[in-house]
Amino acid sequence: MEYIVQTQNLSKSFGKEQAVSNLNLQIRKGEIYGFLGPNGAGKTTTIRMLLGLMKPSSGTIKIFEKNITKDRIQILAKIGSLVENPSYYPHLTAYENLEALRKILGVSKTRIDEVLEIVRLKEVAHKKVKGFSLGMKQRLGIAASLLHSPELLILDEPTNGLDPSGIIEIRNLIKRLPEEYGMTIIISSHLLSEIDQMATQVGIVSKGKLIFQDSIEAMRRFAQPKVTFKVNNGEKGWRFLLANGIKADYQNGVIFLEECSDEKVAHIVQVLVQEGISVFRVEEEKRSLEDIFLQMTMGEQGK
Amino acid sequence: MGKLLTADFLKIKRKGLWLLTLIGPFGVVALQMVNYGVRKDYLLQQSEDDWGYYLLNVHSFTPLAIVLGIAILTSFIASIENETNAWKQLIALPVSKLTVYLSKFTLLAILLFFSSTLLMFFTMGYGLFLELGDTVPYMELAKYSYFPAFAALPILALQLWIASVSHNQGIPITVGIFGVIFAYSSYLLPDWMIWKWPSLMNQWNQPMINVLLGVGIGFLLYIIGMIDFARRDVK
Ligand SMILES: Nc1ncnc2c1ncn2[C@@H]1O[C@H](COP(=O)(O)OP(=O)(O)O)[C@@H](O)[C@H]1O
Ligand SMILES: [Mg+2]
Repeated sequence: MEYIVQTQNLSKSFGKEQAVSNLNLQIRKGEIYGFLGPNGAGKTTTIRMLLGLMKPSSGTIKIFEKNITKDRIQILAKIGSLVENPSYYPHLTAYENLEALRKILGVSKTRIDEVLEIVRLKEVAHKKVKGFSLGMKQRLGIAASLLHSPELLILDEPTNGLDPSGIIEIRNLIKRLPEEYGMTIIISSHLLSEIDQMATQVGIVSKGKLIFQDSIEAMRRFAQPKVTFKVNNGEKGWRFLLANGIKADYQNGVIFLEECSDEKVAHIVQVLVQEGISVFRVEEEKRSLEDIFLQMTMGEQGK
Repeated sequence: MGKLLTADFLKIKRKGLWLLTLIGPFGVVALQMVNYGVRKDYLLQQSEDDWGYYLLNVHSFTPLAIVLGIAILTSFIASIENETNAWKQLIALPVSKLTVYLSKFTLLAILLFFSSTLLMFFTMGYGLFLELGDTVPYMELAKYSYFPAFAALPILALQLWIASVSHNQGIPITVGIFGVIFAYSSYLLPDWMIWKWPSLMNQWNQPMINVLLGVGIGFLLYIIGMIDFARRDVK
């Protein structure tokens, strides 16, 4: 399998603090890779290393099958990026900001109008960036990252600090890119909900470690609803169920099952009633992806 | 490198840096306008060589203006990248860090020598206006305009280095202020202090020594600064 980005035991420490440890990222062409993790998990540090802004303490990074330490410039020629808060020159207009980057990248001037169009900043192209809202600055940053039509786009929390409409706008923009331009995208966030609707692959980091990496569908499978039974004597009921070959769990006075069809629920109720146990409530408890995410990262933090 | 430099020139737009390169030499000559305006007759009596004496008078403020100018220029130029931490955006482009640094240094050197050129024309202009004599000492004029700038290259390299690697911009400013104080008291400083060099003074009375040292040590400090800049992680 060919990966656009592949890291091996990527680690970075700041003094004693291990910010990233033994990360093995694998990102295929055309994916929107959601890089998730709570604040301080090491997302930005990882992204900085991917861009050659920071040197790894150990481990290797391969992008486009090349080593970042050796072929940094060749690799970066095909990457667009936005790291943490947007960078810009406040005393220059949006157009001039892009022009300063365009000169370095050596792309045609028409690209400036094109990218301004993509992020819908054309009307304010000749206004100083100083007066822009955060959302506009963020969009300018994305425009800058698109200037040289990169094959890989790396966006670090591009929706951070935006209002809901700004978030939706950026989300729609990002979703269009792989389809329309064949880009591969890495987008980091500390909120699952933000990338839930666009990512195709997910990597979750917590305390510098990669604790999950798979498709978003695989992650959704974790989010199956659970059915709970509240009865007058939980423990006794649970034992009857086990005796009847029904695998259930018991905790805090309630019986619960991870996956449960309607027929199975009916059967369980029947068994319980037959054994003389009163069934008070049968409830379905839906777990959101967010719960799963929280549970995963909390579990890691507890260790 | 050419691409980076044109981008760097674009970035200093509206920052008042060109104005500063104009004000510096103008200020130095303007002081002599006041000086000669007030007591021209007295000053002309001081020496047989009126042009030479006039050039010395102009030169007495040049080192101060250069050291102050360099401190301001470097911190302005570094602040353009520091303000929104645009270093990370710049260095994530397909450019080498060495060239990024070289471009900044070149930009500063161009501004410095542009300022020296203005100084030469302003000095000559006012000298002609004063009617100091028919034979204009062009060589001396060029010497007093450009030598201090060459001798100041180590200060330029040092200030750029500090300004581009400091997270706290108070540090380069503090160094700059001390530099200005040092330049002001050049005649008290030992010869090895780089802040003395733009004054062109040394124990052998050979300004050329300051120029050669300036270029040599300036180059060395530039290389050290560049390597350090390239070695560091970008925040
Ligand atoms: N330049 C740095 N110096 C020291 N510690 C740092 C630096 N950058 C990040 N860290 C630390 O590394 C950890 C990971 O930070 P970061 O990568 O920014 O996390 P995230 O982007 O996931 O919020 C944090 O504990 C942070 O304090
Ligand atoms: Mg971050």
